Amino acid sequence: MKSKTVVKLLIGITVIGGGMGYVVVQAMQSSWSYYYSVDEFSAAGPAAREHSFRLAGRVKPGSVVRDLEQVTLAFTLAGTTAELPVRYRGVTPDNFTEDREVVVEGRLVATGVFEADTLMTRCESKYQRKVN
Amino acid sequence: MPDLGQFALRLGLFLSSYALLVDLVGRLRHRRELLVSGRNATLAALLCLTVACGVLGILLVRSDFAVQYVAENTARALPLVYKLTALWAGAAGSLLLWLWLQTGFVVGAFSRVDEDTGRFCAAARAAANLVAVFFFLVLIFDKDPFRLSVTTPRDGAGLNPLLQHPAMVLHPPALFLGYAAFVIPYAWTFAALGVQGPGRPGVLLDRTRQWLLFAWMFLSIGIALGAWWAYEELGWGGYWAWDPVENSSLIPWLTATALLHCARTYRTGGKTSHWFMVLAIATFSLCIFGTFLTRYGLVSSVHAFPDPGLGILFLVLLILIWVAAGLLVVARWLGRVRSLRMIAARPEDGAVAERTRNTPHGQGLRFIVWNNWLMVLLAFVILAGTLFPFFSGLFSAHPITLKSEYFTKITAPGGLALLLLLGICPHLVRQGLGRGWRTVGAVITAAASLLTWTLAGSLAIACLVACAFVGVNLGADFVQRYAGRREGRTLRASLRWHGARVVHLGVVLAFVGIAGSSGFDVEKQVALRPGEQVQVGGLELTYHNLDAQHGPNFTAVVAEVSVRQGQRQLGKLTPSVAFYAQSDKRTSEVDIRRSLAGDLYLALTEADNSSRLINLTIFLKPLINWIWIGTILMVLGTALVFAAGLGRGRVTGALDTGGEP
Repeated sequence: MKSKTVVKLLIGITVIGGGMGYVVVQAMQSSWSYYYSVDEFSAAGPAAREHSFRLAGRVKPGSVVRDLEQVTLAFTLAGTTAELPVRYRGVTPDNFTEDREVVVEGRLVATGVFEADTLMTRCESKYQRKVN
Repeated sequence: MPDLGQFALRLGLFLSSYALLVDLVGRLRHRRELLVSGRNATLAALLCLTVACGVLGILLVRSDFAVQYVAENTARALPLVYKLTALWAGAAGSLLLWLWLQTGFVVGAFSRVDEDTGRFCAAARAAANLVAVFFFLVLIFDKDPFRLSVTTPRDGAGLNPLLQHPAMVLHPPALFLGYAAFVIPYAWTFAALGVQGPGRPGVLLDRTRQWLLFAWMFLSIGIALGAWWAYEELGWGGYWAWDPVENSSLIPWLTATALLHCARTYRTGGKTSHWFMVLAIATFSLCIFGTFLTRYGLVSSVHAFPDPGLGILFLVLLILIWVAAGLLVVARWLGRVRSLRMIAARPEDGAVAERTRNTPHGQGLRFIVWNNWLMVLLAFVILAGTLFPFFSGLFSAHPITLKSEYFTKITAPGGLALLLLLGICPHLVRQGLGRGWRTVGAVITAAASLLTWTLAGSLAIACLVACAFVGVNLGADFVQRYAGRREGRTLRASLRWHGARVVHLGVVLAFVGIAGSSGFDVEKQVALRPGEQVQVGGLELTYHNLDAQHGPNFTAVVAEVSVRQGQRQLGKLTPSVAFYAQSDKRTSEVDIRRSLAGDLYLALTEADNSSRLINLTIFLKPLINWIWIGTILMVLGTALVFAAGLGRGRVTGALDTGGEP
């Protein structure tokens, strides 16, 4: 290859690569979400309030309360030892039932309630597609 | 009966391994009788697979719950069509289907044993049989579709009601048709890499192109059906959630699209020829990898690493494929072929490549290469995002996941860049009228897009601006063609020309739909009592009543909502929720008012029978139907190009003439 071509190629790669890299890093930073179980989350202490989290746990039987006036769904997310109250506004997946493994995304608010903006069920079906 | 299926699989494994060996030896030693034997063994393996598929089909229809796969995927009460289509409802069945299709395609494409192309076909068959052997191993020892249940249940687990939908019946086989057909360019590449000296690199190239079009078309259909199903059934108003399952089909689609462009412009020893080879192997590898990823739950797991079991075999296969390809390249290099570009090139072809550099074709290639880079980068970034939780889990106790914003933030500018490229390059390539002002137009559009993006913060507007530019450009193309002289155009060339533009038009329309539905959508959640009204984006919705309906195994509540725009009644919508008594499952049926301007999408989230209070989720999705229209055009256009290539008698096509970028 001629040296001119090499230089052109290098400049091209730097510009495109730099641009893409910048976009990728930006996108990553804003959508960073830690994946914890409820137990680990409760053990994490005050640090748990700082970030956006994705939590896995089980819907505690008997804890599901739907407030039709406020259009919210509240339930307790249970791990093996810890429990956490969760509040969610949005479309509930069809296979959301009590005592089912679910994953919620969101953050802890001052009241100690986990405000979820995504609710996914861990699907036992063949197509493990998430519904959010 | 299951014994017959298991026997067929084992015989198939033997035949495939035999064919692999014999084809390789026959290829190296120039032994024609071995090539015939290899061809026949591959054919016999196809027969075995046909028997296995047939047996599984019969077991499914007869509801033979002694077989685990049948018990897990069907139930007695399931309609016949869903019993049959349960063939691809589980991992085992879909792998079997894939392998059957793949072997069928290979037999269809590489069965020649004649003097000219026999050795080439043998090498291609060997590459395909290598994959087949691994699939057989997984089918026999891990995902065995004929494994017997420990105890025979009285009824099967049935099919998730969500999946009982026509789109979900056709989505998996369409995907698998695509995945399986990508074996052809992959195998072709291996054969072409193996050609020593002044061989015949263009052998069967036309045919491989046809298979590639076929594969791309079905992969696109499959992806679109999946998106459409998600929109219709899942009730969250979207069609794409950047779920690993979805990504694993999109990633090979991106590389396949780049591959398709390289195939159209392939000239032996030309700029796109080595791109073609890398992309062909990459696309097929990504199909396999995606299947491994989703079928073995590598990324959807919460914490503990899933036991990949024999899924590891897929990784071994992928490593083997790339090592083998690498070795072939090194072997060629050692064989005094100076550079990758000269792979399989006859001396005169190199001269042609040199001469074409400054022609429209040569310039078109430059854009094709840009397109390749963009597609590959996008595929890589999506792959990285999909695998991120897995890799971060290796380095820390807590895996880090990326929300779907990651993907939208990256694919939006990436898609915009692709769109602009699509707007300029097919036109810049042609000489004569418009070259100057189109470049100016592109620069202005790019600037306008960037400006709206940064100033208004709306990538959707930027995208629509770009769509308009590309649309105008495409239109100008048509005008230019129809205003020009017509003599000397063959039907084939004309079909190909129109096909390519219809595909591109489809892409633009799909972009319009994506930008409109994700940039200007409205979501509203409301609680309503009978008689109450709600205003959404210029529409007035009135909730009238809640009805209960009783079906054979379910009870449904149906909300009646009328829609008005100003003084005009637009009709009634009836979103509902059905509760299945036995299975403790519920499915919500959304109701959608469709128009080309956009959809009004209602989902009944909750309903209280006594007070008739309901929770309604209302979505406005502007322009969304253009996604489906665009996809249909993309498929139709591909079919046109496919038709243009039908019945091409030529076996060799070393110097392709059809390469219109």
